[in-house]
Amino acid sequence: MTEKEDIFEKAVESLRREPVPPGPPRELADATMAKLAQCSASSSSEDTDSYVSQRQWPKAFAGFGRIAAAAVVLIAAGYAAGRWSAPRPPDMEQIRAAIEPAIRQDLLDQTRQYVQSSLANGYIQVKDELSEQYRQDMSRVAVQTLAASNTITNDLLRQLIDSISTVQVTDRQRFAAALEQVESNRLRDRNQLSSALATFAVRTEDELMRTKKDVAQVLSYTLPNSGTPYEFKNPDNPDERNEK
Amino acid sequence: MIDWQAIIEEHGPAVWQTAYRLLGNHADAADCFQEAFVSALNVSRRQHVQNFSALLTRLATARAIDQLRRRFRRPDCSQDPDDGSDAEDEALCPSERAQQRELAERVRQLLNQLPAQEAQAFCLRYLNDMSYQQIAGAMGISTNAAGVLLHRAKARLRELFELSAGEVERG
Repeated sequence: MTEKEDIFEKAVESLRREPVPPGPPRELADATMAKLAQCSASSSSEDTDSYVSQRQWPKAFAGFGRIAAAAVVLIAAGYAAGRWSAPRPPDMEQIRAAIEPAIRQDLLDQTRQYVQSSLANGYIQVKDELSEQYRQDMSRVAVQTLAASNTITNDLLRQLIDSISTVQVTDRQRFAAALEQVESNRLRDRNQLSSALATFAVRTEDELMRTKKDVAQVLSYTLPNSGTPYEFKNPDNPDERNEK
Repeated sequence: MIDWQAIIEEHGPAVWQTAYRLLGNHADAADCFQEAFVSALNVSRRQHVQNFSALLTRLATARAIDQLRRRFRRPDCSQDPDDGSDAEDEALCPSERAQQRELAERVRQLLNQLPAQEAQAFCLRYLNDMSYQQIAGAMGISTNAAGVLLHRAKARLRELFELSAGEVERG
């Protein structure tokens, strides 16, 4: 028994704690407000009609009370007979219950298809736009990079050419200076050599002349006891010859 | 002149909660919401309304119970499962959620079998947390009568619940 009571309390608590979405939706509040306004308007017009009829009724229909009552009874009887013999009106609740799930499902399917197609189209469009933008950005960056690299390369080549030219001019200047130095050394050596040769020739000539004189003087001397000029004992000995 | 726009904005969420909790789907709750306000408009024409909150809660409960009666009279009385899917409790596991939903649906079915006043009093007390005095004021009865209605409603509902549980166990 206690367990059943617990289940009952739990069931009531489940219903009490069942989550409820926040609401009412804005559309429902607006529709309710419109319905209230419609009910208010219809009610006020009914009130006005009934007020006028109540004021005019004693004058217009005072003499026809019995006839009107009879007519009302007849009309009511006719209405009742017609209502009784008429086919039964369709049960709107049943019709609504029968077609509402199909309409709702159809609406859901159509909404889902529309949303899916919209999302797919939007995805393809966004993808194409992003691809195009990416290609344009890449082309622009490539052109800018190429221009910048060309400028830097030209600058470096210009600097290289300038440095090569400078080195070539320096080398030519050094080579010309070396050639001048070699030429001046050659001229100086030639002058020294010619002066040395001239000195040597003059001295040689002087020595030759003096030797001639010495030889002539020697030849002019004659030894008295030998009748022949002095002969060296050892002609290969220079000391002895010098002493002599 | 009654400002119905302000009344809808002020009491609309409570009416919506009452209707949705009892009916469990969006379409029926929307119908019940509109009917409750139209009934309140008719009541306000006949008499001066001092407490719109209590009146609207009672009317929403009454219209929801009427809707439940119509729903369970139909041969295909299954509830549309799509409507309640966005309001599920994320903290519960699927089995607990299913059990809770089944118990709540069973209480809805049993409320259908109670007399209208007892069902209204039971819903106002146990689903809307109204006091005996508030229930008596909203229903236009004395506090003692409200207590009697609640006692009968709870006893009858428990009896019906045990009967249905026994049928489920046997079936």
